[in-house]
Amino acid sequence: MPTDSEGRRRIVYCVGEERDLRDVLPGFEVAAMLAAAFRAGLRGVRVVDPDGKDLWGSGDDVPPPGERDPRRPILLEGEPAGAVVLPDGAARGETQDALLALLADTLTAMAHNNLKRMLTTETHTEVVNRSYEELLETNRSLSASEQRYRELAETLEIKVRERTEELSRAMARLVQQEKMASVGQLAAGVAHEINNPLAFVTSNLRTLKKYTERFLDMIARYHRVCEQGGVAQQDRDDLRKHRESLRVDAMAADTADLLQQTMEGTERVRKIVADLKGFSHVDEDGEAPADLNREIERTLSVMTHEIPAGAGITREFSPLPVVTCRPGAFNQLFLSLLRNAFQARQDELRVTIRTGLSGDRIRVVFADNGPGVPAGLRTRIFEPFFTTRDVGKGKGLGLAVAYDIVTSHGGTIDVEDTPGGGATFVLELPVQRGAHDPIR
Amino acid sequence: MIEYDTDEQRMVLKFVYYGPALSGKTTNLLRLHDLLSKEGRGELMVLDTQDDRTIFFDLLPFFLVAPSGLKIKVKVYTVPGQVQHDATRKAVLQRADGVAFIADSRRSEAKNNAESFGNLERNLSIVGIDVDRLPLVIQYNKRDLPDITPEEEIRRVWGPTGFPVLLSSALKGWGVVETFRALAERAYDTLDRRYGFAGTHGLTRESFAERLVRRAG
Repeated sequence: MPTDSEGRRRIVYCVGEERDLRDVLPGFEVAAMLAAAFRAGLRGVRVVDPDGKDLWGSGDDVPPPGERDPRRPILLEGEPAGAVVLPDGAARGETQDALLALLADTLTAMAHNNLKRMLTTETHTEVVNRSYEELLETNRSLSASEQRYRELAETLEIKVRERTEELSRAMARLVQQEKMASVGQLAAGVAHEINNPLAFVTSNLRTLKKYTERFLDMIARYHRVCEQGGVAQQDRDDLRKHRESLRVDAMAADTADLLQQTMEGTERVRKIVADLKGFSHVDEDGEAPADLNREIERTLSVMTHEIPAGAGITREFSPLPVVTCRPGAFNQLFLSLLRNAFQARQDELRVTIRTGLSGDRIRVVFADNGPGVPAGLRTRIFEPFFTTRDVGKGKGLGLAVAYDIVTSHGGTIDVEDTPGGGATFVLELPVQRGAHDPIR
Repeated sequence: MIEYDTDEQRMVLKFVYYGPALSGKTTNLLRLHDLLSKEGRGELMVLDTQDDRTIFFDLLPFFLVAPSGLKIKVKVYTVPGQVQHDATRKAVLQRADGVAFIADSRRSEAKNNAESFGNLERNLSIVGIDVDRLPLVIQYNKRDLPDITPEEEIRRVWGPTGFPVLLSSALKGWGVVETFRALAERAYDTLDRRYGFAGTHGLTRESFAERLVRRAG
């Protein structure tokens, strides 16, 4: 069935199809007319088509009509659609002419009325058929939409839950982004404030060390002169006693260590400040090429104080290609996973960080030997606000944010069991991100 | 086109008078029948009506022969204007070679005109006719009545479409032949491109229109 561009069924029935006399004049009606005409005196009268070929005859045996035989047209839609002919051999005269004209007019009127009736009937039938088909079609689409609404009603609850989770996730992400942004600003501000005094403390310490060395050198020389009899006996005893009571020798021996350690301390402060700055990534806006091994190291170095005493951290790093990502986000992601691992148990914690390539994807694994994640909770731990910790200890945002970061980079995150007990988080990230992956 | 038989040298065309209910489509055909010469036209066939309103269609055929011997029959139809007869309208519109849209000039009918024209566009798409290529003329009928949309407004609205707009009073008998002639000329241009009326059949635009529109002596 032909249809238009919107799938509606095209009309096939066309008003105006051409018809000939056979279409509109039933043979038996014509035969009755011709028989009557014959009886009235039109012997051999017949009906021919526009080409002169016989359509109907009166049944008697006469030669076929010739060109010049008397004829009268039968009109259909105002056009000659045939003619009545009186062939040779028939009686001819005024009466016959009049009868022939009457016969032609009668057949024209019959044809006209039959055509009208046919057109009305056809149109009516077409309209009825179409209306019926349209009703069927309407019925079909109503059933379909009823079915759809029923299904919708059944799945509505599930859909609402899904949407709610999506919204919670989105809200959590916003909250976390906001928090990270302010933490980052704070960190950058603190780092800047600390850097200035740290610079002159470091510089002064270096100078102080140099001066101290000179003081000690001078004291040693005084001491030598003194012991070699350069001063009176009484003064010498007095100096020696004073020297011992102040424990100058021990001090002299200790000073270098003290200064050295202090300078190491300031160096550590400098490093922490640098890491803090790096971690907050306030200097970087958006995406940047990053080596994930280095980012993991960076995260570990700011978490030093969170690593439980006696914990063993094993790095099994393979060289990784540089990927374009938001390094700040990945620091946050590693921080969440490492913090989880560090809180997995108090004693004899073992955390293994493994990186490597798996096909065209980077694979990062964080395995701990803690209590692990029960199978029933595995799908829920990535939900926002889901936490197993005591109230106030965890917000249930860490893994949700982690999940978000990974998926927004076109990657996946899963949790499985560590052989021998514990939780293993596995991240997989594409090295080349597809152009269609959204960057959130 | 209803039919084109190259062996028989015969072509049957279809023109359709479309428009809202009671805009004067049948009256247009009645006037054409009265005003044009008996030679070259058939009789008006009016199918059953109900309260004087068309429920099927009316037909007025015209005949002419091109110098090449090509016999051309032009069947001019009206459609029923009432909304409920949409299926009949589609069947009549099927394979039309030209459409005269008969609008009712009265201000009160502006909405019905617009709806009917929208219905025409939709039905043309359903029967597979490209409205941009179809020869189409617009007639604003009933100009003899009071409170009608002024001509400037009509021209402003329809001017940009490029469709010829004619004013008429079918009841008084003016503007009717002009509309038919405009439609014939528009249709000629399309048919000439496709069937070489001038080249192959020696039928000029002028003589095509003249032969269809022969005033009764």
